[in-house]
Amino acid sequence: MKRKVKWDNLYLIIMFVILYTPIFYLIYYSFNSGGTMHHFQGFTLEWYKEVFQDTRLLIIVLNTFVIALLASAISTILGVMGALAIYYVKKRRMKNLLLTLNNVLIVSPDVIIGASFLILFTIIGIQLGFTSVLLSHIAFSVPIVVLMVLPKLQEMSPTLIDAARDLGANQWNVLTKVILPFITPGIFAGFFMALTYSLDDFAVTFFVTGNGFSTLSVEIYSRARQGISLSINALSTLLFLFTVLLVVGYYFISQRSSRLYGMGGRK
Amino acid sequence: MSKDVIIRFEHVTKQYDGLVVLDDVSFEIERGKFYTLLGPSGCGKTTILRLIAGFIEPTKGTIYFNGKNINHVPANKRQVNTVFQDYALFPHLNVFENVAFGLRVKKMKYADIQEKVAEALRFVNLEGYEHREIREMSGGQRQRVAIARAIVNEPEVLLLDEPLSALDLKLRTEMQYELRELQRRLGITFIFVTHDQEEALAMSDQIFVLHKGKIQQSGTPKDIYDEPVNRFVADFIGESNILPGTMIADFLVEFAGKRFECVDQGFYPNEPVEVVIRPEDLEITTRDQGKLQVRVDSQLFRGVHYELCCYDQHGNEWLVHSTKKAEVGEEIGLYFEPEAIHVMRVSEAQEVSDGEGSDET
Ligand SMILES: Nc1ncnc2c1ncn2[C@@H]1O[C@H](COP(=O)(O)OP(=O)(O)OP(=O)(O)O)[C@@H](O)[C@H]1O
Ligand SMILES: [Mg+2]
Repeated sequence: MKRKVKWDNLYLIIMFVILYTPIFYLIYYSFNSGGTMHHFQGFTLEWYKEVFQDTRLLIIVLNTFVIALLASAISTILGVMGALAIYYVKKRRMKNLLLTLNNVLIVSPDVIIGASFLILFTIIGIQLGFTSVLLSHIAFSVPIVVLMVLPKLQEMSPTLIDAARDLGANQWNVLTKVILPFITPGIFAGFFMALTYSLDDFAVTFFVTGNGFSTLSVEIYSRARQGISLSINALSTLLFLFTVLLVVGYYFISQRSSRLYGMGGRK
Repeated sequence: MSKDVIIRFEHVTKQYDGLVVLDDVSFEIERGKFYTLLGPSGCGKTTILRLIAGFIEPTKGTIYFNGKNINHVPANKRQVNTVFQDYALFPHLNVFENVAFGLRVKKMKYADIQEKVAEALRFVNLEGYEHREIREMSGGQRQRVAIARAIVNEPEVLLLDEPLSALDLKLRTEMQYELRELQRRLGITFIFVTHDQEEALAMSDQIFVLHKGKIQQSGTPKDIYDEPVNRFVADFIGESNILPGTMIADFLVEFAGKRFECVDQGFYPNEPVEVVIRPEDLEITTRDQGKLQVRVDSQLFRGVHYELCCYDQHGNEWLVHSTKKAEVGEEIGLYFEPEAIHVMRVSEAQEVSDGEGSDET
């Protein structure tokens, strides 16, 4: 028994080492004054300076965040509405069908989504650029939000809605005073998931971007192809740190809400 | 008519996908009384409450509230409030906000809300708990919050769906007294659902016994206990000995191979009937003094009394509650008064409520 637990731990450690080594390798060399990724000569922040002096890059960073925030905000709204719609569907069959359609969108490869959006945009004549990227990011984020919100809705006892109506609440009151407060943790989770998905999306964006509009992941990709510059490492490091911050932030929010609804802890 | 009827069900039927859950139910609820819907699980008790509260509509029939047809009036427009089986308190709101919910929805002024909530909490003995979170309250306290949340809206009828079933025995008995007392103080109609017959007998002015979507019998607890109208009610309300018999003539019934004097009349001569005798109405005497002779098969000590299981020579089982002890295997006599015998028609179900039922249409 004891042995088995040890093996489990060892396995986990190896897995994490394998997964994180490339990232730390990359971070490590972002401080290398030598300019290459195989011989560490000395510590420098030169590459970071280069990143912050590159206005084109900064604009792209800005674009990326604008897209991510807009896409996740809009998809959160759409996703919550979608989840509510699925929740209110009475027929079991219809419900399952809608859920399956939703899940298929999540598991289907980004390449296919990207390619199909490219075809769609070309057919209906939307210019590739900000709008096309935003639309496609919204599209692939909505199912994620639905998936995060729906369990919260199902967790909610339907008698809560009856209780609210019993106390005189109309449909709008029921939604704003009971349902939305109850599923708030799910909404936050969905928003953060959408944000991270949108921030680091490469494949879909790569297909539908154009006219000089670019996001960070696409930009990093094209720079990495042109040749090695450690400023890419610096940029990736910054991005990685930001993601960690997001995850930590999400952790604290979900902690707080679970304390709010779960047992123990006082105000 | 002098009766002050507040709710009337007229031939109400409720089906779910063709499955009949309530079958042509008619009854009247009078203002200011404590009613209990009693019946086994799945018999349709909650369905009746949900029909009154307005969460569902009847498939057939009409529900009247203060003389008006309310079939299509939505739940939020009805002068009725519910205490749910699982309390259904809002987990994201504290005690004050839970109780204030109905008043806030009505857009009442904050000062008034504060006053009313304080009063409602005082009513259920929860003063000073305003700022507690729901999860910080015990089961009994939550139940009181649920009651406060309902009564603060000053409903004409309060519906309670098995509110005590989640509590332990001691708290439960305590809450039974409190609920009854609360109903007297408020003077409004309570419709209380339970599947616990003792609870129903202890608390109610009127009991409706339900089975398979039909009202089997309605009446005061004493009526229902003493004069069960059919086998189901006799069996469900307390323990009883139910035997097949024959009504020889008025005031004379035959069962267990003998003829006995009784107080029932109005049956056809030689009509087959079912006879009910409560275990506590049977007295143990000597073999010769008894009206019936039985052999004691087993004996259990039940605290207040002994519970004896006996058999007569025809193989009928007799359950006896007695403070006297007997020996297992001993032949004893059973004595009972003519009033202890209750004669029922075979599978009789009461259609209208206990003689005084609705005669206007
Ligand atoms: N929404 C529904 N759809 C289909 N059938 C239902 C629905 N609600 C209740 N029923 C059925 O109606 C019958 C009566 O249900 P109801 O909830 O009134 O029972 P109850 O007397 O309250 O039982 P319990 O004591 O277990 O709460 C049950 O057989 C139940 O399966
Ligand atoms: Mg029920």
